[in-house]
Amino acid sequence: MSHIHVPDGIIPLSWGAGGYVVSLLIMILIIRSMDAAEARQRIPATAMAAAIMIIGMSVPLFVVPVHLSLAVLTGILVGPKMGFLAVFVVNLILASFGHGGITIVGLNTLLIGSEVLVGSVVFKGLKQHLSVRKGAFGATMAGVALSMVLMVLLVGSTAGFSEVLPHHHHGEHDELPAVTLTETQENEPHGHSHQHGSFHEELERIRYFTFTGWAAVGTIFLAGLMLEAAGTSLIVGYFQRVKPQLIDR
Amino acid sequence: MHLAEMDHLSVNGKGFFHRRGTLSKLVFTIFMLSSWIISRELSQLLLLLLLILFFFVMGSIPLKKVGHLALYPAFFSLIFALMMAQQSWVNGLVIILKAVGAALTMLLLIATTPYVDIFAALSKVLPGLLVDLMIFTYRAFFLLMEKMQALLRIIRLRGGYDAMTPLKNLQNLTRALGTLVIQAFEMSERIYQILAIRGYSGRIPLRHSLKPRGTADFGLMLAGMVILMGTVMKWNL
Repeated sequence: MSHIHVPDGIIPLSWGAGGYVVSLLIMILIIRSMDAAEARQRIPATAMAAAIMIIGMSVPLFVVPVHLSLAVLTGILVGPKMGFLAVFVVNLILASFGHGGITIVGLNTLLIGSEVLVGSVVFKGLKQHLSVRKGAFGATMAGVALSMVLMVLLVGSTAGFSEVLPHHHHGEHDELPAVTLTETQENEPHGHSHQHGSFHEELERIRYFTFTGWAAVGTIFLAGLMLEAAGTSLIVGYFQRVKPQLIDR
Repeated sequence: MHLAEMDHLSVNGKGFFHRRGTLSKLVFTIFMLSSWIISRELSQLLLLLLLILFFFVMGSIPLKKVGHLALYPAFFSLIFALMMAQQSWVNGLVIILKAVGAALTMLLLIATTPYVDIFAALSKVLPGLLVDLMIFTYRAFFLLMEKMQALLRIIRLRGGYDAMTPLKNLQNLTRALGTLVIQAFEMSERIYQILAIRGYSGRIPLRHSLKPRGTADFGLMLAGMVILMGTVMKWNL
């Protein structure tokens, strides 16, 4: 869900390059930190998890193309280290046919990698106290929520928060009251209440747009969050009934 | 699924780009992508779009089969384009063209170069374990996609999948995915045992020469460089 489908040419190239450098460094550290024999043994299972992520993303749940990302599930199944590597491979393959820009594969890996890390760690902690299904639900909520916040911060800081949401563009809002009031006091003493009224109307309009913009973003994100958490929880619940050793690793 | 379609095109195609070496196509793609990202003028972007469409025709790549994939970046860039269109509609159009153009450039590469050849080129710069993971994922995708398609067919035949009932779909889809994961993990254990017997030591040998295959390969790289230079240079026409 938190996968950034931002195409190339929108986020500055320096950010994209930085994302690649940081994610590659993390991957090199992960590979070096692992025992070579253990890493080799876990490669086929990690590849299966990565392939299932791609398949999960290609099956729409509704008439609009809403799909599961299964990143937290990958973290639960193969752990955060191998999960991070799987996320990079998935992003690279998806970007090769237009699902997200090739220049932002690194950034996407960092975002979804954080989801994998937080999701798998929280799941480990929660399953000691809650049922496996509830643990998976909570872990997915935590992981996806974090990556969504990071995604909004990233897109907001590159595109500009003021540009992310719909707003009025007739000039700078901060300058509006000063100019209006000065002109009113000097030129139109009787028109003060009218100008003051239009300023408040303008302010209300800005507030309305900002509120509806954030409300729309929030609603979409919340729906996605619930869907991903419910999906992961149902799959983990299925494992518990059919093959519990998959989640007891 | 798009990965399967692209794989079929790249392996079975016989066009100009299919016959070129992987390195020359990668270099050409990097130049083209840089051109799309650097360009800010509408006229430049339109010219680049004409060029990339010409390359599709030249490479005998069916735009009908591939073109719809460029709609994804067009759709996702629309949000940013609408924001920019508040300042000027040209800015909005620039955003969409950049997104579509960069995606078409990647599609040109993927539709003419098998993934395994790209992984072989990446193996020169990336850790062996990561490249192995790419190869295994690519292979696993085709194995599992077949199984998933069979599972979805069964669900549909039993009335368990309807585009208008998302919650029911979610429940049935998660069961199918759960079954698929269990089968996949059992398969992965068998794959590792087979690999261990064959002496797998952490790097699958990929025999693929990256050397340019002739003057046409050098010409392709040169064309990419000329296009990038044309984008960077200021034209006083």
